[in-house]
Amino acid sequence: MSKKLLSGLSGILVALIIGAIVMLGQGYNPIATYGALFKYSWGGLYPLATMLKNSVPLVLTGLSASVAFASGPVNLGQPGQFLIGALFATVGGLYLDLPPVLMVPALLLLSMLGGALWSGVAALLRRLFNMDEFITTLMLNMIADFFTYWAISYPLFDRTAFSPMTPAINRAGWMPVIGQFNTSVLVMVIAFVVILFVFNRWTAGYEWRLTGQNSIFARIGGIDINKNYVTVMLVTGALAGLAGGLVLMAGPHRFLKGLGANYAWDGVMIAVVANNGLIATLLYGLFFSTLQTGALGMELITAVPSEFIQVLQAVTVLVIVAGRETIDIIVDRSVRRRKVRERTA
Amino acid sequence: MNWFTGLINGMLQGATPILLSALGGTFTFYAGIFNIAMEGMMLAGAFFAVLGSYYFGSWLMGILLAILGSLLMALVFIVFAVLIGVDEFVTGIALNLFSLGATTYMLRQIFNVKGGFSDPGIVSIPRIHIPLIRDIPVLGQILSGQNLVVYLAVIATVVSAFVIFRTRFGLRLRAAGYNAASLSSSGVRTDRVRIYSLLICGVLCGLAGAFLSLGYVTLFSENMSAGRGWISLAAVILVNGNPWGIALISLLFGFTDGLGLLLQSYRIPSQFTSMVPYVATLIALFFYSIRAKKRASV
Repeated sequence: MSKKLLSGLSGILVALIIGAIVMLGQGYNPIATYGALFKYSWGGLYPLATMLKNSVPLVLTGLSASVAFASGPVNLGQPGQFLIGALFATVGGLYLDLPPVLMVPALLLLSMLGGALWSGVAALLRRLFNMDEFITTLMLNMIADFFTYWAISYPLFDRTAFSPMTPAINRAGWMPVIGQFNTSVLVMVIAFVVILFVFNRWTAGYEWRLTGQNSIFARIGGIDINKNYVTVMLVTGALAGLAGGLVLMAGPHRFLKGLGANYAWDGVMIAVVANNGLIATLLYGLFFSTLQTGALGMELITAVPSEFIQVLQAVTVLVIVAGRETIDIIVDRSVRRRKVRERTA
Repeated sequence: MNWFTGLINGMLQGATPILLSALGGTFTFYAGIFNIAMEGMMLAGAFFAVLGSYYFGSWLMGILLAILGSLLMALVFIVFAVLIGVDEFVTGIALNLFSLGATTYMLRQIFNVKGGFSDPGIVSIPRIHIPLIRDIPVLGQILSGQNLVVYLAVIATVVSAFVIFRTRFGLRLRAAGYNAASLSSSGVRTDRVRIYSLLICGVLCGLAGAFLSLGYVTLFSENMSAGRGWISLAAVILVNGNPWGIALISLLFGFTDGLGLLLQSYRIPSQFTSMVPYVATLIALFFYSIRAKKRASV
């Protein structure tokens, strides 16, 4: 754990320094920029609440990718599952009319169903025809992208709007706001705890982890790896779908073009940099959210374009992963040297 | 007959970027690298092509800068995946997102626009009219008058097939992927072969990018590679890297691209016609898996 923490923190530091050098090269003041960045994401109750709300899609899609990668399936379909989840929640929110106590859970379930349905297509193609989910999920992402774009431009189009978007969903389906905190954060925490518990404490989670580490060993040990494959695909699809539903219900309350932004790909990056660890996914999700939330403040105060954050994120990932690799090599070498010394002594 | 040549020309246009980046991918495929960074390389190429063409007022500089930009991405991949030993998949994902972020950022910083940049100052890559051939009815309209990069792609296919299967470098390239240990033990640096394959991939993806922003259209827009790098990866996997197979598959995808445009004129929503190449990839994968299953059972 301490080694992970070390490589994570030093990686973030190095990435921030690289970012500072780039900023200096373009004539910006890096200290003022980073100051604004953190002030607009951690400095006060409202920035903090915004940062937490923005972390919801990042953490949930990150969890989806982490659980999938750690259990074997290369589910890269989070962007598509996110969109279909949000679409399901939209349809429910437009046509259902329930009291908020029932409406919110119903829409959340619908969004999970949507996500699971979309990942289920990839799982089905794999089980029936042995088609690699790595490519099929990517293609399904593009198809989901165009399909939702069509859905909000024609059948669900808000006739009073000028650009493709749906009307607002029923008020009962909006995520309640307590003080300044949006309850979508609460749902995220619950989902995180449930997944953490299932993954680390349940038999199912044990089987998933075992299959991810060595599927042949798992199969010989009597684990039904085909069934687990489908379960993991459905669960991770549901997580990404939930992210989509929550973004819709907490934020714009309607499906507009570009709703998915880059959340899901950021989530995949978060899983990659967290090395598929669940707690690390949560922490890096919060860090990415800090960057993204602070980006607008940064642009406001020091005129550094908010797009800079996208570059900084990718640099952070590369530096941390490379750092982890180098630390491993150095540790391995010193261990080997010690062993050699012990043997010769 | 006009719609026919239109369809064929649309097919060639749609096939070219996929063909070029898939040829790049096939070099790394044979070298045993799981390279998913074609998307990012192509996007970087497309951006730098517009940059070069706009500032130097010459399409040649556009192509040159596109190749340099794409090579830069290949270099990052080399440093992280080959030299440091970071997982290739991880490097590829990060590189694709880095490319997306960096081109968006530079679009804002250099051209002061969001979303896309088009300007009459961008010089596009010319079409080549071949004398004599262009006078042949019907066929002349297809064989002549194509964009320069389309011809380059055809040449690249022939050269790739020759290099991979007929030269010493090609033999080493295939050995690097087939059995790296025995290649190393016969005195060839495997990592060096891999580096060369990534550099070649960079050049070809740069050309593909240049065609996207200076041939297909004359502008740069955010994320304009739009999954073509992924489709080209699927093409490489589908035919096990054979350049001739790649050419065939690319034409098929190009055809669906052209078909999409044709269907649009029949009042089918553009969102559905845009889906066609991706659905086609799924269908192609389906037939590939069925065939692989049959072969396994024999």
